[in-house]
Amino acid sequence: MFYIRMLGQYMGQYLKTRLQYRSDLVVELVSDLLFQAVNLIFIIVVFGHTDFLNGWSRDEIIFIYGFFLVPFALFSSFFNIWDFNERYIVKGELDRILTRPIHSLFQIVLERMELESLFGAITGFVVMGYAGARLGLTINWYDPILFCVFVIGGALVYAGVFILIACISFWADARTSIMPMMYNIGNYGRYPVDIYNTVIRFVLTWILPFAFVGVYPAAFFLRREEWYIYSFLTPVIGVVFFTISVFVWNEGVKRYRGAGN
Amino acid sequence: MKNAIEVQGLRKEFKSYSSRSGLKGAFRDLFSRNYKVLHAVNDISFSVKQGEMVGYIGENGAGKSTTIKMLTGILTPSAGEVMVNGMNPHKEREAFVQTIGVVFGQRSQLWWDIAVQESFRLLKKVYKVSDEEYDRHMGHVIQTLDIGPLLDKPVRKLSLGQRMRCELAAALIHNPPLLFLDEPTIGLDVLVKLKIRDFLKEINEKYNTTILLTTHDLTDIEALCDRVVMLDEGNIIYDGALQSLKETWGEGKEVQFQFMENVEITDLEKLTRDLPVKWELEEKEQRFIAYTTDEADAVSNLIGTVISSFQIKDVKIMEVSTEEIIRKIYEKGEV
Amino acid sequence: MDKYIEMIRIRFLMMLAYRTNYYTGILIYSINIGAYYFLWKAIYGGKETIEGLSVLQMTTYVAVAWMARAFYFNNIDREMAMEIKEGKVAVELIRPYNYLTMKTMQGLGEGIFRLLFFSVPGMLIVSLIFPIRFSADIYTWALFFVSIILSFFINTQINLLTGMTTFFLFNNTGLIRAKRVIIDLFSGLLLPLSFFPEGIQEVLKFLPFQGISYVPSMIFTSGFSSSETVQAIFLQGIWVLILIVPIQALWILAKKMLVIQGG
Repeated sequence: MFYIRMLGQYMGQYLKTRLQYRSDLVVELVSDLLFQAVNLIFIIVVFGHTDFLNGWSRDEIIFIYGFFLVPFALFSSFFNIWDFNERYIVKGELDRILTRPIHSLFQIVLERMELESLFGAITGFVVMGYAGARLGLTINWYDPILFCVFVIGGALVYAGVFILIACISFWADARTSIMPMMYNIGNYGRYPVDIYNTVIRFVLTWILPFAFVGVYPAAFFLRREEWYIYSFLTPVIGVVFFTISVFVWNEGVKRYRGAGN
Repeated sequence: MKNAIEVQGLRKEFKSYSSRSGLKGAFRDLFSRNYKVLHAVNDISFSVKQGEMVGYIGENGAGKSTTIKMLTGILTPSAGEVMVNGMNPHKEREAFVQTIGVVFGQRSQLWWDIAVQESFRLLKKVYKVSDEEYDRHMGHVIQTLDIGPLLDKPVRKLSLGQRMRCELAAALIHNPPLLFLDEPTIGLDVLVKLKIRDFLKEINEKYNTTILLTTHDLTDIEALCDRVVMLDEGNIIYDGALQSLKETWGEGKEVQFQFMENVEITDLEKLTRDLPVKWELEEKEQRFIAYTTDEADAVSNLIGTVISSFQIKDVKIMEVSTEEIIRKIYEKGEV
Repeated sequence: MDKYIEMIRIRFLMMLAYRTNYYTGILIYSINIGAYYFLWKAIYGGKETIEGLSVLQMTTYVAVAWMARAFYFNNIDREMAMEIKEGKVAVELIRPYNYLTMKTMQGLGEGIFRLLFFSVPGMLIVSLIFPIRFSADIYTWALFFVSIILSFFINTQINLLTGMTTFFLFNNTGLIRAKRVIIDLFSGLLLPLSFFPEGIQEVLKFLPFQGISYVPSMIFTSGFSSSETVQAIFLQGIWVLILIVPIQALWILAKKMLVIQGG
């Protein structure tokens, strides 16, 4: 309860600061939109040369991408930790975090919030709406509920993986360049994983389970019954990965060396 | 009276990697690296009573910050026991930090972009301080530190002295019984320093707040602390009253002369060769400094002898400063 | 000149010092190339060629594009933004070298490091797993190297430009990110520019981005005829020269700003 109140407090504060620099906000939104458009353009250009991707149509792939945007928006709004190493370890900001009576990871989530990323979810809904209409998808009464569960599961997968990467900083002298590269790998979960060979499929399912942020949950709404088991695993994998990452984080904080040593 | 801080055999080791030199060495480092274990803090023990003001001093790299970080729960000790406010800092971190206030002189606790009072408001929620408590306690703090006019300015627009006063107020929002101050006066001008010192004395008297202070500025310690803990290379080399340190180490007196005429240092040495005196010349202001012993008649004998032979413009009798004492101790490496 | 070479050497050493980065880097690059390999195989389906490129050429294209990226890619725009915001640039200005040249040299040091310790071993690993065709023609290799050096300069010049916008905008992280996304798409890293619809291709011909990834990758996969190759490299060179103009202009403006605001 206290944590939810704090979230409210920080959000209020965040909006106040953000509104001070409105032109920044616009640039940020435009660059987000551009980012989302690039991937869409890629799909469209590719399907200018082929009709099916291993049996999946253009609109299905676009739908998966639209779905992906929603958990990804949630993730990037609250887990903006790609510069964790520079900001909190090298510059020692974690010192300050650790002298306050709130869980350290939660404080960083609060401080690094980027709520404007939530607009990505709107793009996601538009894209899904477009593709869904062309595919003639129907909506059942339970779909919205499952949608929310899958979205949260997917966001937790992303959060878990990126927290684990941030944790490397507690053990090793890693700089941040792993994080941007990982964003690329996140993209591959948006394509039907049956196009990959077993190794990559295994990695995307169990090791860096990005397939649970794209193709697996989206397959449920595309009524691809052969993938249903994986669709329903989404929240499980999300919770498991997130729990592991928080546990590793807590261990990592004990090994924190402080700045300037 | 209970102890606010209790430390037994506290130790912190860091692994430090050394890189080989040159391109070939760097390439070898890719596969295997050399490291050595550094003892930043080496089995130290001490305790601080509730309401004490303790100065924690040492040279750079002596282990001051590392100790403070272990006491505040930021770092996990390699070995030893720490009990602060009856809790183990890193084990029960979130409950524990509720009972302490921390000011790092070189790192801001406040949010850079928002107004000071917004930061205070947020911290008030973070530390679960009620409105009545906040008004009663902070009203006074804000008045004493004279930061009322600064409250609606964003932190990035404040000067260092203004910011430091706000930092101090921010650390006291939850009125903690124990306050850690790491270099709180670094880079501040004299007036701000004085204001901060007065304020610290006041809250110490009013709330019986325990204060542990590290600083480079020994005048802070002289003004505030009855007790000092001195650290060298991770070991405590002195723990006790500042006064007794002065008495043991502040031996000797210093007398400064300025003369009406031109005087050679060799003349002075010849003149006082029967007395226990060492001369030194401070070139810029043509000031001759004589170091002599503490014996009752040493100073009067010296001055008497000099006056009888030379015309004097000015004489000053000085006590050896704390800074001088500390320097002497570090040169020797033990107390 | 010595000081700039020293700068390259120091960056090189700095890169070597971060070994966790190094190991995970190779792994992640391999996964990247692998994923794209299968993606393209699926896109080709049963087709022999698309836009004149065979599957084999396409996989080689993707692998080379990523490996070349390791060489030309750098974060000097982000570094500059940080240095400018922290006021370190004012200090850099009084040092006896050109700040922009120094930044370029740092980027080059990083690039050479990645080329030797990332791309070469990475390429070996990838070529063991996936069918990739290396050209046997030494002439092709030579042209490829000339081309990626020019790629490095074009990309770095664009980075310098975005980095310098920090002087004029309060917060340009959005801009830096947008630039990166645009380069990934329009430089031909994600897919060959010949895959784009005609209209877009026409526009892209007049932009510098194709010189970053498309040209060297096409040269390596022998997707260009020899006259096309010469023309493309010539065009890359022209862009390197053209981009000097806005860089100098912005730099002069920026220095004026620094003088007025006192850093």
